[in-house]
Amino acid sequence: MALAALLTVVLMTGGWEAWARSQGLRPADMDDSPQAWAQLRRQAGTARVAIVGDSRILFDTDLDRFKALTGEYPLQLSIVGSTARGLLEDLANDPSFKGLLIVGLADTSYFRPSGLGYGGMYMHSSERNGKPSQRSGLFLDRLLQPHFAFLDSVYRFSKLAIRPDHGWRKGPDSPYEDVWKISETYPNRQYRMWPQIETNPYLQYQARHAWDYFKGPKISNHVIAAVDVHTREAVSRIRARGGEVVFVRPPSARPIRVNEDKALPRAIGWDRMLRFAHAVGVHNDDLPPQVQNLTIPEFSHLNAACATVFTDAYVRRLTQLTPRLKLRVDAPPPLTRADCVKAG
Amino acid sequence: MIFNSLTFIVFFAIVLALHNAPFPWRVKKINLLVASYLFYAAWNPPFVILLWVSTVVDWWAAQWMVRSERQATRRAWMLISVVVNLGLLGFFKYGHFLLDNFVAVAASLGIAYQPPGWDIVLPVGISFYTFATLSYTLDVYLRRAKPAKRFLDYALFVTFFPHLVAGPIMRPTELVPQFEQPRRATSTQLGFGLALLTLGLFQKVVLADGFLAPVAEAVYDSHGKAPAMLDAWAGTLAFAGQIFCDFAGYSTSAIGVALCLGFAMPDNFRFPYAAVGFSDFWRRWHITLSCWLRDYLYIPLGGNRHGPARTYMALMGTMLLGGLWHGASWTFVAWGGLHGVYLSAERGLKARFSGWVPGPAALAGLAALTFLLINVTWVFFRAKTFGAAGVMLRAMSGTAAAGVPLVAALPMAIALGIVAAIVATHWVMRSTTIEAVVERTPVPLIAGVWAAMAFAVIIEQGQGSAFIYFAF
Repeated sequence: MALAALLTVVLMTGGWEAWARSQGLRPADMDDSPQAWAQLRRQAGTARVAIVGDSRILFDTDLDRFKALTGEYPLQLSIVGSTARGLLEDLANDPSFKGLLIVGLADTSYFRPSGLGYGGMYMHSSERNGKPSQRSGLFLDRLLQPHFAFLDSVYRFSKLAIRPDHGWRKGPDSPYEDVWKISETYPNRQYRMWPQIETNPYLQYQARHAWDYFKGPKISNHVIAAVDVHTREAVSRIRARGGEVVFVRPPSARPIRVNEDKALPRAIGWDRMLRFAHAVGVHNDDLPPQVQNLTIPEFSHLNAACATVFTDAYVRRLTQLTPRLKLRVDAPPPLTRADCVKAG
Repeated sequence: MIFNSLTFIVFFAIVLALHNAPFPWRVKKINLLVASYLFYAAWNPPFVILLWVSTVVDWWAAQWMVRSERQATRRAWMLISVVVNLGLLGFFKYGHFLLDNFVAVAASLGIAYQPPGWDIVLPVGISFYTFATLSYTLDVYLRRAKPAKRFLDYALFVTFFPHLVAGPIMRPTELVPQFEQPRRATSTQLGFGLALLTLGLFQKVVLADGFLAPVAEAVYDSHGKAPAMLDAWAGTLAFAGQIFCDFAGYSTSAIGVALCLGFAMPDNFRFPYAAVGFSDFWRRWHITLSCWLRDYLYIPLGGNRHGPARTYMALMGTMLLGGLWHGASWTFVAWGGLHGVYLSAERGLKARFSGWVPGPAALAGLAALTFLLINVTWVFFRAKTFGAAGVMLRAMSGTAAAGVPLVAALPMAIALGIVAAIVATHWVMRSTTIEAVVERTPVPLIAGVWAAMAFAVIIEQGQGSAFIYFAF
């Protein structure tokens, strides 16, 4: 009986794996987790360059390109659904971190009144995730992930089962409002846009729908002032021990950008915050025209090819703004929009 | 580590292989002991010291009790054991609670006391192994059991990994004798043990974590939003299903794991949502805790031997302390107190209508009433504050001013369907056992159900979330 059950399980799991691959899931996609984040977070004390922020800087940074340009492979500590401010604070409170911190932000997320968002689950559990059982769990997970495409936290059975509900009941958010799978994760938490978001109209539309165009109330002057003070203090703490902080504002597509600007105009958000913190930064708007209008399939994150172009542009600009990053003499030539967006 | 983790699968495979290797029995027991310490240390290695303290103190306390003829000396050793065990439990589990209440009482007397900040981490499963070791010294003191002959057997009884962190709460008389003779699972036991492990994981990973917890969380963790009546009931029923699947899932897994190694452990759940009345419920829910509380609290408090008033006091005292055992919060005390009230009322009614025998319809009605009232108690178990519990109870009773829908249609429908299936299964199974049902079911059907559950566990993947009762 046990053998018959085992054989049935193997056959069913094989069928499920085939179905997962037919949906565009790939074994090389390793999935992210608080444990994976915690493993990198423990390396912050020796990191020369680290990146913190929300999902935009996470998707929009090509770590290999960063290294090709500067010789530095940054520690990617950004977290989806979080606020860069919470992560900046986390690093500011870590006396071992003395490197260059790149803070990537989406304005409305950075200037949210309070809360760490999804990032709280990662940050508050970092100590817990250092326990032997969790380290071994991550190790075993890493052994299995490269062989099975169906191992994807967004494609859990219970999540798939409720997907048909597109708002059957008035009032509560339906599963259709959730953020479904939009990314793939590779070693060192290298995120990339899931290709299905570019090629599958249903998934692309759902992803756009989940963002709800970043509609939201105007951010109050009181909150802006508090965030400015908080930023300055955090930056000062890192500088006091020999570190440095720079900021990056990745792009968002027009339909979202309009609402972001309504909630927080650049002049009183980004510009004032940098002045107040005596910090420098790279805003997407200030990058050269040849790297503007990159492909943002679901309006909030660049596709994989354009993330490389954006990384190339912002890292080159950072090397001009801070002596902590230097352009290698053998750095590859600059990329432009034409390298990731098909003509026409 | 937890049963629903990749680490446990590898760990268990190694333990099983070593246990079936041609080693002497003493070596196999040492293997199990070392494995059990590793199992516990995987969470937080320093806390293994607490296990050692508890093991060594109770071993020597029992030894000295046996060697001494003087009652005063015996009592002193028993008290040392009780103080050490309850001291550890009190400090680690109730330290914050006691301090918070002290500060509140001081403030009510006009004394502003600001205690220094301290951060106590709750050792996993401390309530379970403390009760297990306490039962050893108390049984030896009361001459209900002889002490273990070998320290190794006793240490293994305390530490044996299947029951270590969330029960079933074993008595030394149940487990120590099993360590005295070589044990190895037969192929039937191994198969049945693995099937029970699969069933337990299915309950935990798929039902509790996958489908029921999100609905309970959407209602109970809604950040101050008052739920609509339907949502309040859906959240509470989902939690009723979640807590059962979580805890019974752990017990079933533990029994299955032990069986794979050739050891028998007692049932901890016997289809509790088919209970008719609250004494019946407690004969079916967390049975090993009920028995522990009966033997070491209710009976010493007087039980039913000293008249009705004393009986009711013993009942209430036992249930209030039983509630506090579940968590360091007054809401847990209220949960226990409510069960105490139910049990007392039932006792009174049974005395008043002693000759009445309910027919099938009345029996079904009483079972439904029991289930309804059990759900009311779960509100205090799940809500973090009395305020939140009040909001939920008002919503459930339909007296809330303006509740809002919090749960989407399909997740709610699936959760309610699962809870209905659990209750129906309990009702069908209330007078039988899984073993009996398995015996009379065609093999292909059993294999198919087993495979379906295992497949569901695999594709649910799980997120390694801890069992709720680990925090107790």
